[in-house]
Amino acid sequence: MSKNKRSMWSVKLSTAAIVLIPAAIGINYLGKLFASLLRLPLWLDSIGTVLASMLAGPIIGAASGIINNIIFGITADPISTVYAITSGAIGLTVGIMAHKGWISSIQKAVVVGLVTGVVAAIVSTPLNMIFWGGQTGNIWGDAFYTFLISTNSPQWLASFGDSIVVDVPDKVVTVLISYFIFKGLPNSLTNIYRQDSEIEEI
Amino acid sequence: MSTIEVENLKYRYPDTTKLVLNDLNFSVEKGECLGIIGENTAGKSTLCYALAGLVPHFYKGAYGGKVTVNGLVVRDHEIATIVENIGLVFENPFSQMTGAKQTVYEEVAFGLENMGLVRQEMHTRIEKYLKLLAVYSVKDKNPFDLSGGQMQRVAIASVLAMEPEVLILDEPTSQLDPQGSQEVFEVIEELTKGGMTIILVEHKMDKIAQYADRVLLLHEGRQVDLDTPENIFSRGDLTDFGLTPPVVTTIAKALGIQYPGTKLYPVTIEEFKRLGEDK
Amino acid sequence: MGSMTLYVEKNSLIHHLDPLVKLLYVAASIALTYILPEPLFIAGVLFITFLLLVVGKVFRNSLPIVALSMVLIFSLVIVQGFFHPDNATELFAIGPVVFYEEGLTVALGLVLRVLVMVGAFSVLILTTRPDEMVERLIKKGMSPKIGHVILSVLQLIPQMRATMGKITDAQRSRGMETEGKLLVRIKAFFPLIGPVVLNSLNETKERSIALEMRGFDAPGKKTFLNEEKIYPYNKQFAGMLVIIILLAIVWRVIG
Ligand SMILES: Nc1ncnc2c1ncn2[C@@H]1O[C@H](COP(=O)(O)OP(=O)(O)OP(=O)(O)O)[C@@H](O)[C@H]1O
Ligand SMILES: [Mg+2]
Repeated sequence: MSKNKRSMWSVKLSTAAIVLIPAAIGINYLGKLFASLLRLPLWLDSIGTVLASMLAGPIIGAASGIINNIIFGITADPISTVYAITSGAIGLTVGIMAHKGWISSIQKAVVVGLVTGVVAAIVSTPLNMIFWGGQTGNIWGDAFYTFLISTNSPQWLASFGDSIVVDVPDKVVTVLISYFIFKGLPNSLTNIYRQDSEIEEI
Repeated sequence: MSTIEVENLKYRYPDTTKLVLNDLNFSVEKGECLGIIGENTAGKSTLCYALAGLVPHFYKGAYGGKVTVNGLVVRDHEIATIVENIGLVFENPFSQMTGAKQTVYEEVAFGLENMGLVRQEMHTRIEKYLKLLAVYSVKDKNPFDLSGGQMQRVAIASVLAMEPEVLILDEPTSQLDPQGSQEVFEVIEELTKGGMTIILVEHKMDKIAQYADRVLLLHEGRQVDLDTPENIFSRGDLTDFGLTPPVVTTIAKALGIQYPGTKLYPVTIEEFKRLGEDK
Repeated sequence: MGSMTLYVEKNSLIHHLDPLVKLLYVAASIALTYILPEPLFIAGVLFITFLLLVVGKVFRNSLPIVALSMVLIFSLVIVQGFFHPDNATELFAIGPVVFYEEGLTVALGLVLRVLVMVGAFSVLILTTRPDEMVERLIKKGMSPKIGHVILSVLQLIPQMRATMGKITDAQRSRGMETEGKLLVRIKAFFPLIGPVVLNSLNETKERSIALEMRGFDAPGKKTFLNEEKIYPYNKQFAGMLVIIILLAIVWRVIG
């Protein structure tokens, strides 16, 4: 157990793990493009971050998420920078849960998706409060926000509801898709990210 | 001492059960070109990784025996140290570009920046190797805008600029079109003539015959034979290892053209013609 | 194939500024909108930001970036103007929808702040070469590996976009369903994303090998091919921004 802990939080990042970050960001980007091509009612823009977390652990997962949003912030959409913290939290959550054995079956993967969605909403709420008075700019989320406000709910609760209706379904589907892909990957593509392995003498 | 010494080398990838390298023993002399042949999954690439230190440092897994490059025991040194002695170029030119540099010139500089060279020395080396590899004219282009052949030559220039003692080429033309392959082989010819120590993995047997001083025949991780191209390609059992000799050798066998007083067949066109005329 | 950057090559005073000073400006201008949150004051910061865009000859280039935040801005105006909890004073009505003064004031502040954010970012990204900024940050102590990640993402995205074209064409010719029921479309997602992931991971493996072979993990001190640019009035600009922030804080505390 203590050995596991050390490897999950290992600070010495291998070259393979570093190169995984841009790949994860690329996969995030294409996931989002394909989702809009197929007119899916979800973002699916964090598949790369989730996969990176499953492959290389929470640190690399979080780094993929954070850098993902910073880069889209400075190249396309400044507003996405704000959510770098949320993306980082998604990477951390999936990385830790994957390491603790929570991606060994579909049922467990659904739980990972639910937890990740809730974590994302919890982290996003204060950001939305600070930056835009509680809204997200997502039509469904903001409609729900409006509904909650009109029933006299406090603003933070409305804001949290705004995020939850958007984040939970998206993250459950994202984690499930990533789970199916991850299970299908050959050993030769996954074993280079393991930070715990030692050289055995023969 | 030889430039490369391999003793009882054994290796297995992590989470697998099969030895991919099984008790290899050979050495390579300075200025020699060693060809490595064998069917798919024979372990050629893995052997290249073992010479360059990627096995075991990058891949981990189970490792036994000893590899010495330029006096350096590979097992005991970091990859960053080993690469100053041995360079590796492989099939896919695209993934050998760092992806972080905007121009060919800067691309070649990448390794030199990591080595901590002073600026003047960097410029000298970059100019030298861009010219040697005939890619000086595209030095200001984005590496990803080049043709496959040009990109592969930039990859070779980038590795050579670090001035290693040995250059490993693992199927350097298998993903290139004929034009690109031709360009790369011209460079290899220059380098062998220039006295560079080269390890060349190739499926094109005529190229092995043309450039290699000796050939290592691998099969299922074992060293079947290590000899001159004539000896290797004159073997009657090559098909057992999933290989066919160069076309000239096959024709020479059919026509019975041999080196006088031996059972050896010619492996290059020049030798074929010479022996044919003598006959 | 280029790099994903909005950088506009121009010769202006702003282009010649230190990327770090521009980064500091982004941070300072956003911070100011919180330290002194009155709409009039935020409008002042916004005016200066637009002025910088004009001096940097990139004002027109910033418009598409601002346009991206329009959805958020509309949403802010409507929801806050209509539903803000403090709403009391009726301002005007469009049909059954009533807008209130309190909500609209809040919305105005929020919208101005969004514009400052987007504008200040635009100043930075439209007038700064990404590699120049990354090199500056590395020299200030950022890990060269993180720098490498940032620069490679910028090149990777356009390549990915090209890949996407190829994959969708291939899948379409095999009869992929982009229409139809939701479940059908979700199923169609896998053959699209699957090959991308496999390719990317294979490339990741090969590229890591290539980087290792070029001394990426070398422990010693790294050098730089490009000579360090000399930035005019660097300290002065940075100092000025810090002083403005301090003054604003003092103002807020006293006033
Ligand atoms: N990262 C890896 N993890 C596990 N097994 C691997 C890995 N890389 C290669 N192998 C296995 O090791 C064996 C030797 O592979 P290697 O790539 O060295 O062969 P090769 O002779 O270079 O083949 P080719 O001609 O196809 O390039 C194969 O059975 C392969 O499946
Ligand atoms: Mg191979």
